[in-house]
Amino acid sequence: MADLLGIGKSGLSASKKSLEVTSHNIANANTEGYSRQKIIQTSAVPVLKDGLITGTGARVVDIRRQDAPHIARRLASTITENEYYKERVSQLDQVEHIFNEIDSDGLHKILNGFFNSFRELANQPENETIRSVVRDDARMVVKDFHRIRDTLDSLARNIDRKLETEVENINQNLHFIGKLNTKIASLESVGGETGDLRDQRDESLRNLSEYFKVHTYMDEKNRFVVSVNGVGTLVSAAEVQELGVRGTDEMTSSNGMSGSLEIFFKNRPNNPISSKIDNGRVGSLLKTRNKDIYDLQNKMDQIAYDFSHTVNAIHSKGYKSTPVDPNNPEQLNKNTNILFFNTINNIKNASMELELSDAVEQDLGNIVTALAPNSPGDNRIALAISKLKDEKIMDNGTATIEEQFLKSIGNVGLQSGKARLDSEQSEGLLAQAKALKERITGVSIDEEAADMIRFQHAYEASAKVLKTADEMFRTVLDIKR
Amino acid sequence: MTRVSENSNKASLNFSINKAKERLENLQLKGTTLKNVTRPSDNPIANVEALSLSAVASDNKQFLRNADYAMLQLNTTEQSLEELTELLNKAKEIAISQSSDFYDADIRKNVANEIHQLRNQSIAIANRRIGNRYIFSGFSTLTRPFETDGTYHGDTGSIKVEVAKDFFIPININGEEAFFSADNINDNNPVLLKQDLEKLPEANIGRDLASDGSENPEENSGFQKRTNIFSQFSMLISALENNDPKLIQSLLEKFDESVSRLITLRTRVGSLTSSIMSSRNQIEGDNINNEAHRSKLVDADVAELFSDITKHQQILKSTYQSGKASLNQTLLDFLR
Repeated sequence: MADLLGIGKSGLSASKKSLEVTSHNIANANTEGYSRQKIIQTSAVPVLKDGLITGTGARVVDIRRQDAPHIARRLASTITENEYYKERVSQLDQVEHIFNEIDSDGLHKILNGFFNSFRELANQPENETIRSVVRDDARMVVKDFHRIRDTLDSLARNIDRKLETEVENINQNLHFIGKLNTKIASLESVGGETGDLRDQRDESLRNLSEYFKVHTYMDEKNRFVVSVNGVGTLVSAAEVQELGVRGTDEMTSSNGMSGSLEIFFKNRPNNPISSKIDNGRVGSLLKTRNKDIYDLQNKMDQIAYDFSHTVNAIHSKGYKSTPVDPNNPEQLNKNTNILFFNTINNIKNASMELELSDAVEQDLGNIVTALAPNSPGDNRIALAISKLKDEKIMDNGTATIEEQFLKSIGNVGLQSGKARLDSEQSEGLLAQAKALKERITGVSIDEEAADMIRFQHAYEASAKVLKTADEMFRTVLDIKR
Repeated sequence: MTRVSENSNKASLNFSINKAKERLENLQLKGTTLKNVTRPSDNPIANVEALSLSAVASDNKQFLRNADYAMLQLNTTEQSLEELTELLNKAKEIAISQSSDFYDADIRKNVANEIHQLRNQSIAIANRRIGNRYIFSGFSTLTRPFETDGTYHGDTGSIKVEVAKDFFIPININGEEAFFSADNINDNNPVLLKQDLEKLPEANIGRDLASDGSENPEENSGFQKRTNIFSQFSMLISALENNDPKLIQSLLEKFDESVSRLITLRTRVGSLTSSIMSSRNQIEGDNINNEAHRSKLVDADVAELFSDITKHQQILKSTYQSGKASLNQTLLDFLR
């Protein structure tokens, strides 16, 4: 009869354990990354008694978390992809905003205004007021080139700043994973599984996947080894390789800007690894900075360079209208070879360096319209400059300035639109992968409620067994009385 | 049976609500701007096309302004030439009546005064200005082209203005064409083509310089003085004063020549004006088409847009409805 008590007790404690696990599940129903746990329960070892093999009750073997490693891996790579596109959309959105001229004036309209002001000047080359309109329009062109280049530059700098904080976050995650590795190894050395800690480690691995794609495997002590393809190992057991950023000078930087950041291993500062990261948020930031913004910076420079040079080439052939003696070469030379824009020697940074020439800035009379000296009514230079609008001067004579600029805008729009589509799609995939994982590992309150009732009933029943045993004892003891 | 957990439930609800809201937000943005393309990425190709159309529109606006200006110039020129023709006709009539021996020297002297007046008038016409700019002095628009003795200070510059894309029209007739003898009429094609302009900076510069500077100007004007309109007046005056009907008679032919030359010029001006008018009409027609096309590219279809908005509002509402059914309800609610 003592075994009856034993069996009852084993049932009681098994049910109690089950209830504990159920409450733990319910408590963590909304914990990020929590995997539901369940009791592994077997019947206790039977014994031979009175010639019969008899059961001895229930035994709790293990508390195990519901794991889905293959889905977790898929989720991690979906996160990487989604973060890549999300970041790309947010960056390209800002880039495209620079070129949005749907209901505001951008460089395209301003350039057009510039050429049209020369057309207007061609109507009345003698008119001082129109000259000042031309100069104002030219100033607007200069200002807008500066605006575009400035904004592009500051976008690139913002990316640098963002990279810096991202790397800090990455390091934090790496340390967290390292610490958890140690804890898990020491807890699990006595056997069993530390579900909650593993959940936390998985969660922080998912956080890490936001920055770039990571590969993991477990070593013999259930510790994670985290590595990045082509870069190297970041975490191995408790060992963490910290990442760092460092500014580079103009010559060695990957986007031609001085001070742009590269990512390094802290203990190997001469070996930049940023070029090897092409996915996740970090890869997205780097690509926008080194490819999209860099290309636009170059294109704007090329446009500014070609624009100012061709305008100058024509403008310098003209003559001022102030009267001179045509037979006096010295006087004649004073009235010609006047530049409209300042001289730019390098294509690089041309859009930043573009300014009006000092001559034009100081005196409206230095805006030249005539191809011959002493001809205030001659408008041929003004006409020729206004015709530059349709001249295929860019890209080896295959595109006008307008076409080249519109091509860039079109390209930005296409890239940004494509990123938006990709991002939408990857969001769908991410939601799917998340749901898939949650379906397997997530807590369902309904299920837990049913379990709770089940285990409560089992507990009551086991208690009944004890009570019955008690009554049986009493009956036996009562015999004696 | 697929297992549904709290979080998977929440995630899928979040996803569908976000999606519905995002679409509605996009539509609302279009609703407030009434534009289908609010940023380049909405439709990169339409955006670029719309931009180049707006460039064409602003070019056309400029071309219309240019055309207005050209019309002003050409109309004034035409009017001046007409007045000049009248003056010449008047002089010719007088010359005809005076070519017979019917009048004596005294009367001819009085008539000479009248011709003198005609000559002064013609000089005033030759020095006519629009604003501060002389219309008959070629490129030297700020120089008074004719002195009272008929010496020409202008040049032979032909000012061109673009009245439609690549369509250049000369807007002036220089003093030499208008007032000097027929040999000088520069009767080349009035429409300067784009190719001419491309050549312009390299090719023309040397020649222009040479013709303006190095040729001997005195010899030039001395030769032309004999054949210009003012000298015809002067010769008539002196013929009248000298009472020389033969000379008067010989002048008749010259007046005829001048008149017919002026008529040729007026025809030219007239044809330029009409080509400006036709290019104007063309541009105005193009503008309407361009605007219609541009609107099709970037403007939202209002009816479609608002029916879309209503539709998506409905979708969002039903998403909320269905979310309410699954959220905040568990088995526990029914276990009492």
